[in-house]
Amino acid sequence: MKLESGELREKLAAEFVLGTMPARTRRRFNTLLKQMPALRRNVAEWESRLLPLAAALPEIQPPARVWTAIEARIHGKRSSAARAGFWQSLSFWRMSSFTSAALAVALIVFVSLPGRQAPEELPGRMVVIMNDLQTREPAMTATWEHGRQGERIVRLRVIGHAEMAPGTAWEMWMLPGGDQKPVSLGLVTTHETQTMVVPASMAARLDSATGLAMSVEPAGGSPTGLPSGPVLYAGNCIKT
Amino acid sequence: MAPDQLSDLLSRCALRDQKAFAELYRYASAKLFAVAVRITRRRDWAEEVLQESFVNIWNHASGYSASKSAPMTWMTAIVRNRALDLLRRPREVELDEEHEELIASLPDDAPGPDELLRQSTDASALAECMKQLTGEQQKSITLAFFHGLSHGELAQQMQKPLGTVKTWVRRGLERLKDCLEPRNA
Repeated sequence: MKLESGELREKLAAEFVLGTMPARTRRRFNTLLKQMPALRRNVAEWESRLLPLAAALPEIQPPARVWTAIEARIHGKRSSAARAGFWQSLSFWRMSSFTSAALAVALIVFVSLPGRQAPEELPGRMVVIMNDLQTREPAMTATWEHGRQGERIVRLRVIGHAEMAPGTAWEMWMLPGGDQKPVSLGLVTTHETQTMVVPASMAARLDSATGLAMSVEPAGGSPTGLPSGPVLYAGNCIKT
Repeated sequence: MAPDQLSDLLSRCALRDQKAFAELYRYASAKLFAVAVRITRRRDWAEEVLQESFVNIWNHASGYSASKSAPMTWMTAIVRNRALDLLRRPREVELDEEHEELIASLPDDAPGPDELLRQSTDASALAECMKQLTGEQQKSITLAFFHGLSHGELAQQMQKPLGTVKTWVRRGLERLKDCLEPRNA
């Protein structure tokens, strides 16, 4: 193809922009476009000529799910960068273990004060304020207390309006601290308030967790047993 | 919205300003969705195209140059190219029945080219030039443009030989170009 010929470039660019090119030609043309600045100029000229026609079309409102999906993809992309930082950040682990150690000391002091009646169930209530890792704003809170037979009743509250992209799931993880791997607590929804029951077998680990995190996973949850998608929300555990 | 306001939104998108992106979506999504629906003729495909296009717009906002093209032209090109690539992918040779029916039904349920051009304010120069084309040239160009028909489909739709339709399109485009940019008049 003699694309040095301005006339031929012009003709092909016009066809490309109008959209009449058959599939194979279109694919080849797309490749050529990447290699030839002159061809790109021809195309840009034809776009400026013809595309204003599109303004003549009556608008059609797309359904809300399109925006939800776009936001999730853009959000997810940015959070995956945040995730690497989050999971690997030593300062995060160090700081969280420091905080829980300090709180543990405070708690011991509290229960050993003479004359004060210790609460029936220790460690009482745990609170986690999970921030949106992107906006740094609180996005979800989790509190838990003792249920019957040693299980933990975790109450979650989603702050503000959250939307989940179609075909994805939100999975909650507890971070055991140190260099131990996150442990799944199961899937959550976008409902403002929801409750999870953590079995007694996991209660001790939950109570000693340094933080919680929520990741975006394929429908049904992470296929690997570890967070595989971007972490949207995370926060440290605080004993109250 | 004025083109320079849109350019401003795009440059803010390049700086990862999500509010600007949301505003851009609010302004442009219904216009661009209409483009995608017309070409793909399927809502689910059009939704996919719109989604892909906006992710693309977000990712490549820094590559937008106001000196090279108007913002709506730039975004429309992204949507049209996505839609055309999608449309050309699954059916290189033949159309399925549903598809043929859809094409057949289009001229009836959709505003005609003249009406579309009358409604357009942004395209007044183009509309004037379109009037100078012959009826066949006008029809083949608007069918191709709005409905994403290839030469073969145009021939089928207009019930004319392929060569004839190709000539209408080519001559029509040449005339449009001359009309829009008179050569050293």
